[in-house]
Amino acid sequence: MKKRIFALFVFSALVLCFAPFVGAQFIAPSVLWSGSGGAALEILRQLRLPRVLLGWSTGATLAVCGLIFQALFRNPLASPDMLGVSMGAAFGAVTYIRLGLAFSLLGLISGISVFAFGGSFLAIMLLYLAGSMRRGALSLSSLLLTGVALNFLFGSVNMIIQYSGGYTDTFRMMRWTMGGLQTVGFVSFWSSLPGLAAIMLIGWLTGPQLDLFVCGEELAVSRGVSVKRLRKLLFLSVSFVVGVSVALCGPIGFVGLMCPHICRRLTGDAHRELSIACALFGGAFLVLCDTAARLLWAPTEIPVGIITSCLGSLFFIWLLVHDGR
Amino acid sequence: MSGAEKLIDVRSLSYSIGGKSVLSDISFSVARGGFLAIIGPNGAGKSTLLKCLGGLNETTEGEVFIGGRGVRSMSERDIARRVAWLHQSGGDRLPFTVRQFAMLSRYPWRPVLSGASSEDEAFVAEALRGAGVEKLAERRISTLSGGERQRALLAAALAQGTDMLFLDEPTSFLDYRHQVDMMALIEEINGRGMTVLMVTHDINLALHGAGDILAVKDGRAVWRGSAGDICEDGVLSDIFETDFEFFRAAGGERPYAVPRGIIR
Repeated sequence: MKKRIFALFVFSALVLCFAPFVGAQFIAPSVLWSGSGGAALEILRQLRLPRVLLGWSTGATLAVCGLIFQALFRNPLASPDMLGVSMGAAFGAVTYIRLGLAFSLLGLISGISVFAFGGSFLAIMLLYLAGSMRRGALSLSSLLLTGVALNFLFGSVNMIIQYSGGYTDTFRMMRWTMGGLQTVGFVSFWSSLPGLAAIMLIGWLTGPQLDLFVCGEELAVSRGVSVKRLRKLLFLSVSFVVGVSVALCGPIGFVGLMCPHICRRLTGDAHRELSIACALFGGAFLVLCDTAARLLWAPTEIPVGIITSCLGSLFFIWLLVHDGR
Repeated sequence: MSGAEKLIDVRSLSYSIGGKSVLSDISFSVARGGFLAIIGPNGAGKSTLLKCLGGLNETTEGEVFIGGRGVRSMSERDIARRVAWLHQSGGDRLPFTVRQFAMLSRYPWRPVLSGASSEDEAFVAEALRGAGVEKLAERRISTLSGGERQRALLAAALAQGTDMLFLDEPTSFLDYRHQVDMMALIEEINGRGMTVLMVTHDINLALHGAGDILAVKDGRAVWRGSAGDICEDGVLSDIFETDFEFFRAAGGERPYAVPRGIIR
């Protein structure tokens, strides 16, 4: 087990080391020490490196969130974007664009990210209220069904807003909903780190409880797990962290679905180890997808959300055929 | 009960769900080291009662005391240090090996930040040995046969290191040989001092395994006594609303009850 996690660590580190040099134009690593880097060094520092780090942190976050959601819903097809949080974020983003706003928070975080987080927060609150209405406790089936309904609701409202907008606005809205890791400087990366740290800590601390929870709710309670508290903690923390991630990068689908399944095959089913494996693999996976997105149609870049959705859909079908281990 | 320590004390327990009464005004107690079978027809509230005793259902009225402490005032972890469960539903999709699953049962004793201790390892090894599943320790539970799986799940319950064992239909889905093995194992565990409460719809398992029987019907406790006495005076016929014939095997201490309607 520890060997496999170490192997994933090496894999992730290698991807992080090499990805910044790869792109429409290859940048030789020697620019770092030759002293004659010039523009190439600036591209590396201001564009490539922040983008790769943001991609790693987002991929790691989404993978751990997916792992927790699959355990929470005891459903191998669960993923962070199934509950309407991403669509809620998209609602915030398209509203921002439609209103023609242009501001940033303290000159650091873009207005669209602020609005997107507001949208995801709205979705989380609606979900929580609806999920708590039945029997006064947070009901997973209510959450799931409300999430599906919210996805459709926000989806249709977003389409109305897009339909009412001009060509430029509509293109910006569509582009945002495809997800992407374009960034200048490290602000987005730093902004993504608290969410990653929080969800890693939660994944690690609640690992043994999640091991019991996937065996059945009654079994978990009979082994001493406070299931009601666990459900609330995990639902709210994952939703908020996903909300932050979507606000920063737009909706990047299927990373949270695929990575936990792949990691289970590598490291087994114990959630403490799995949360570390998912972070290492998920981060590397999204960086590789983004590298492919930069290379496949170079010099034009494909939004990374298209690559992950394409791979994810195929994986989803494979999973259904194999009865979702 | 007089003189013996009451390990489980149930006082006027009632339980409702969605405004509908499921259990009503049930009182009884179980002495330390006792073996009580809870019997009754389908839908009588047997499993619901067991869940109320173990804190899995919140009682609507009345009190349940475990070792002198009210269950309402105990956390899930506190209860799990006293009561281990063998649940009715299968475990055929559990993603762990027998040893891993038994190790999970040590959760109530483990500090949040730590992993398995050498004490946990010792408890698990002893539980696997006690349930006779040492050789299956590294097998995934989902790959075991019904009989093996039930023993593995019982081993996990033993690894919890409690003084009470709650069993909900422990022999359901088992063939006769595995039923016999399972009951022998449960009696052996009871013989080592573990207090056992077992829900079963099989009157003969209760008759021949348990020391005492509590009969539940329509959410009420309708009979309580020693297993040897339940065959008298049409008690079973009243509980199950069908007539019974009793047979005694040569040298057997207690009779076997068979519903008259199925005898040809």
